[in-house]
Amino acid sequence: MRNFVLGMFASVVVVPLVVLLYFVFGLASTQADVSPSTIETQTMRQAVLASVRRSASGLSVPGPASNETLVVGGKLYVAGCVGCHGAIATPLQEDHDHFPPVPQLPYAETQYSEPELYWIVKHGVRMTAMSAYGPFYSEKELWAVAGFLHRIKSLPPEVVAAMQPRKP
Amino acid sequence: MRNLVAGFAAGTLLLVLGVLGYLRLGLADVRADVPPSWAVTRLFSEGVHASIRRTTPKLHNPVPVSDASLIEGGKLFLNDCVGCHGAPGQPPSEFGATFYPPAPQFALVGTAYSETEVFWVAKHGVRRTGMSAQGPSYSEEHLWMLASFISRMRNLPPSVANGIEQKPSN
Repeated sequence: MRNFVLGMFASVVVVPLVVLLYFVFGLASTQADVSPSTIETQTMRQAVLASVRRSASGLSVPGPASNETLVVGGKLYVAGCVGCHGAIATPLQEDHDHFPPVPQLPYAETQYSEPELYWIVKHGVRMTAMSAYGPFYSEKELWAVAGFLHRIKSLPPEVVAAMQPRKP
Repeated sequence: MRNLVAGFAAGTLLLVLGVLGYLRLGLADVRADVPPSWAVTRLFSEGVHASIRRTTPKLHNPVPVSDASLIEGGKLFLNDCVGCHGAPGQPPSEFGATFYPPAPQFALVGTAYSETEVFWVAKHGVRRTGMSAQGPSYSEEHLWMLASFISRMRNLPPSVANGIEQKPSN
């Protein structure tokens, strides 16, 4: 029994140390132009979803979405998000340059609610290419983007028409 | 001895389950707008640099470094990198600071990476950061010119510094 406890203590010291050395010796691969493994994708996706869900649980949408707020959100999306997240009404082009790859929002299946989307846009997601937009947008704008993203697959045609930049 | 091994195995299993449970319960903070702790920053930057040092092949810059090649690389930098990595002579990029880990500000702090390592990072990107692979977007030649520029960014000849400011003629 004493040896069992001793073995347990040893693992608590040795395992983290091995993990640390694995990183310090540069054995972890850094190349971003390959796809993450299924295990890594699943683990991280669930961790992010669970954390966002916990953090955004107290938030509720401040007002109903209207075509106007959707156009405001859509214009912000066109100006700030399409570069990585993909344009509306263009064929799907999977991302292979970021690790983890950036979800192509006009096509992606999402489990995130509107307040959760607001929270992600505002705070960003650690250890991904998703940066925080809180410093650059007002609360109203952040909610408009969230409302737009929540409905990105079922936008009224007049919203899609109104949000595109005017052709010169 | 058998008990020792069993204890070690049980402890390892508990650690793995503990980490998975921690992640699964959403206890890991995922906000990018909180600066990483000193320990995380150290571990991350050491780990990335050690990996890059290990994996970068022994390549030789095929583009002779001249004022012209540095200006070409500098223009690429101004076009595509300044948004996150900061422009020469400007305050640090506010946008670059909103990533976790934040984007390094080359104009201010330079880089500890060699020219070949910068080429390799630009080409393949860095996992779990905002740095995407630029290999699909640029030719090898352009990536080398960019790497030459970044690795000399803190001591550019004045002719180069002036040259990159000029607007392209087309």
